[in-house]
Amino acid sequence: MKNIVLDVQDLSVHYRINKKVIRAVEDVSFKVEEGDFVGIVGESGSGKSTLAHTIIRLLPTNAMVVSGRIELLGYDVLSLGEEDMRKIRWKEFSMVFQKSLNALSPVHKVGNQLADAMKAHNPNLTEEEIIDRLKQLLRMVNLPERVLKAYPHQLSGGMMQRIMIALALLNHPKFIIFDEATTALDVVTQGQIIEEIKSLVKSLSLTGLVISHDLGVVSELCDEIVVMYAGRLVEHGTTEQILQQPLHPYTQGLVRSLPDFAQEKKKLSGIPGNLPDLSQPVHQCVFAPRCPIATEECFKTVPSTEEIDGRRVACLKVGARI
Amino acid sequence: MDVLFAKYLFRRILSAVLLIVLVITINFFIIHLAPGDPATIMTGLENPSPQIIEALKRKYNLDKPLLVQYFKYMTNLLKGDLGFSYVYDQPSWKLIGPRVFPTLSITVTASVLAFTLGTYLAVLASRLRKKFGDLIFSLISYVLYAMPSFWLGLILILVFASKLRWFPTSGMFDMRASYEGFRKVLDYLHHLFLPVFTLLLIQLPVFYRVTRASIVQNLREDYVTVLSAVGLPNDKLFKKYVMKNSIIPAVTIFGITLGFSITGAALIEIVFAWPGMGRLLLDAVFRRDYQLLLSIYFLMAVFISVAMIVTDIVIAVLDPRVRLL
Ligand SMILES: Nc1ncnc2c1ncn2[C@@H]1O[C@H](COP(=O)(O)OP(=O)(O)OP(=O)(O)O)[C@@H](O)[C@H]1O
Ligand SMILES: [Mg+2]
Repeated sequence: MKNIVLDVQDLSVHYRINKKVIRAVEDVSFKVEEGDFVGIVGESGSGKSTLAHTIIRLLPTNAMVVSGRIELLGYDVLSLGEEDMRKIRWKEFSMVFQKSLNALSPVHKVGNQLADAMKAHNPNLTEEEIIDRLKQLLRMVNLPERVLKAYPHQLSGGMMQRIMIALALLNHPKFIIFDEATTALDVVTQGQIIEEIKSLVKSLSLTGLVISHDLGVVSELCDEIVVMYAGRLVEHGTTEQILQQPLHPYTQGLVRSLPDFAQEKKKLSGIPGNLPDLSQPVHQCVFAPRCPIATEECFKTVPSTEEIDGRRVACLKVGARI
Repeated sequence: MDVLFAKYLFRRILSAVLLIVLVITINFFIIHLAPGDPATIMTGLENPSPQIIEALKRKYNLDKPLLVQYFKYMTNLLKGDLGFSYVYDQPSWKLIGPRVFPTLSITVTASVLAFTLGTYLAVLASRLRKKFGDLIFSLISYVLYAMPSFWLGLILILVFASKLRWFPTSGMFDMRASYEGFRKVLDYLHHLFLPVFTLLLIQLPVFYRVTRASIVQNLREDYVTVLSAVGLPNDKLFKKYVMKNSIIPAVTIFGITLGFSITGAALIEIVFAWPGMGRLLLDAVFRRDYQLLLSIYFLMAVFISVAMIVTDIVIAVLDPRVRLL
C-alpha cells in the first residue's frame, strides 16, 4: 500500500453572496496516493477551483467549510491556525492558479518578485544563491534567464504560465495543484506545457491534482480522474476506466465530446442544458434534468456514491446497466 | 527597454512642443480673426492713441500678409518678448514676473502637502482596517471636497485671524513693520499659512480618495492573492507591492495640479488679498487686457507642458506598461 498524501472526506463548501448560499462543493470524498496525480474534471462552475482553494486554505472570506475533513501530508488542513498554515503553504505544497495573467504585480520585475517569494521561506539564502536557484528553476520550465529582468506584461501567455509553474516549484513542494494550467493557451503551447509538466512531475516525484474542464488534458497527466458535477463527485476511477468505460451518464457525455472518440463526421456532441441553480437545495439527482436516461426515480432520490469494481459512481441507473 | 524609454520620452516632448505651438496659434488667430481692427483689440483700450496703433503695427507686421504676421508673432515670443500691456502701460513680463513666486509658493506648497498627506492618510486608513476611522475620513473628505474654496478661506480667516488672531487676515507682508532678512521670511511664512492651509484642505480629499480607492482595488488584485499565498509577509506585500501600484493615480493628479499651479488659485488669492497670478489673470479678463491675457496663457501652456513631461517620466519610471503607449 502506498502512502495517502491527500485525504478529502465529506467536504462541503458554501459561498454566501447577497443572502443566498451557493453550494459550490457538496459531500466530496477522495484520496490521492503518493506519486499519483488525480484529475478533477467538470464544466465551468462545478466547484473545481473551490475544492482546490479549500485544500490549500485560500478561500475568500465569504466562503464557509460546512463539513468535512482534509488531511494533506499529515496535516489536518482545516484546523490548522493561519500562521502555521503560512509556514507550510508553498513549502510543502503549492498551486498553479487558474488566472495567471495578472498573478504578478505589473510594476515589478519578474525576477524581483520570484526572489521575494523565495526569501519568504528561505530567509538565510544570499542574493547569489537566490539568483542561482531562480536560474535553475527557469531552466526546468524552459524559460530563458532574461525573463528575470522582464516585467509581466512583456511576457507571452505561455511564458507567464511557465513562470507560474516555476513559482509553484520554488521550494520543492511534495504536493502541487494545477488549476487550468493550460486552458488559456493555444493548442501548440498547451501541448508543450503538458509535456513539460509530465516530465517535471516524474523527475521531481510529485503528487498532486490536475484541474481542468478538458478531459483530454486531464487524461494525459493523471492516473485517476474525479468527475464533478454541480459541486458533487459523480464518478471516480482510473483514467483508463473513465475513458474506456464511463459509467455515469455525465461522464459518458464528457467522453463522447472528446475529439478522438467522436465519430469522424458526427458533430461533437456536447451535453445539452446548463448547471442547476446552486443556491437551491436539491432532493434529487443533480444531473437528472439533463440526463438522457433519467426516470421518475431519479427526480425523487439523491443517489449515494456506490463502489463498483474499485471505482465509485453516484447514479441510480448504473447497477441496472452493468 | 532603454530604447523604449527614450522613444517614449521623445514622443512626450514632441507632444508638449506641439501643445505649446497650438496654444500660440490659437492665441494668434483669436485676435486676428475676431471682427474689428486687430491693433485696437490688442491694446484692450477703448480709444487707443494713434501712436500706440502705429507701434503695434510695426511690431507685429500688421500691414503684411497673415502668414508673415504669424511668423513675426512666433519669433517675438521665441526672443522672450511676452508682449506689452497697454492697459498697465508696462511689458507683460514686468507684471507677471513678480507674481510667479508668490503664486507658486501657495499652490506648489499646498499641492505637495496635499499629495503627501492625502496618500499617507489613505495608506493609514487601509492599514488600520478600522471601518470607523475610514468612514470618518471619507465623510470629512466629502465635506471638504464640496466646499467652495473662497468660502472655506473666509471661514478660516474668521476663526484663525479675526477671532484667535493667530494669523494675519490678508496680504503677503506686514506693512506696518518692514522686516528684513530672516524675520522677513518668517513674516512671509506667517502670511502664507492660511492661504496654503485653505488650498490644502481643498486638495487633500482628492488625493486621499483616489489613493484610498486605488488601494482597495489593488488589494483585490490577483497578484496580492498569489504573493500572499506564496508566503510573502503582509507588511512587505503592502509596502513594496500594493503601495507602488496604488500611488500611480495620485501621481498623475499631482502632475496635473502642478501644471495648473502657475495660474494659481484666483479665488483664494482674492480672499487673502495675495498679489499672485490668479488675480492678475482675473483682472486681465475684466479689463480686456488681451496682450496680458495672451502672455499668461502662453506661460500657462509652457508650464503645463513641462509639468506634463515630468509627470509622464515619473509615471513611466513607476509603471513600465505606459512606456508602450
Ligand atoms: N468568491 C465567490 N463568491 C461567491 N460564489 C463563488 C465564489 N467563487 C466561486 N463561486 C461560485 O461557486 C461555484 C463554483 O465555482 P468554482 O470557481 O469552484 O468553479 P470551477 O469548477 O473552478 O469553474 P471554472 O471551470 O469556470 O474555473 C460557481 O457557481 C461560482 O459562481
Ligand atoms: Mg476554476
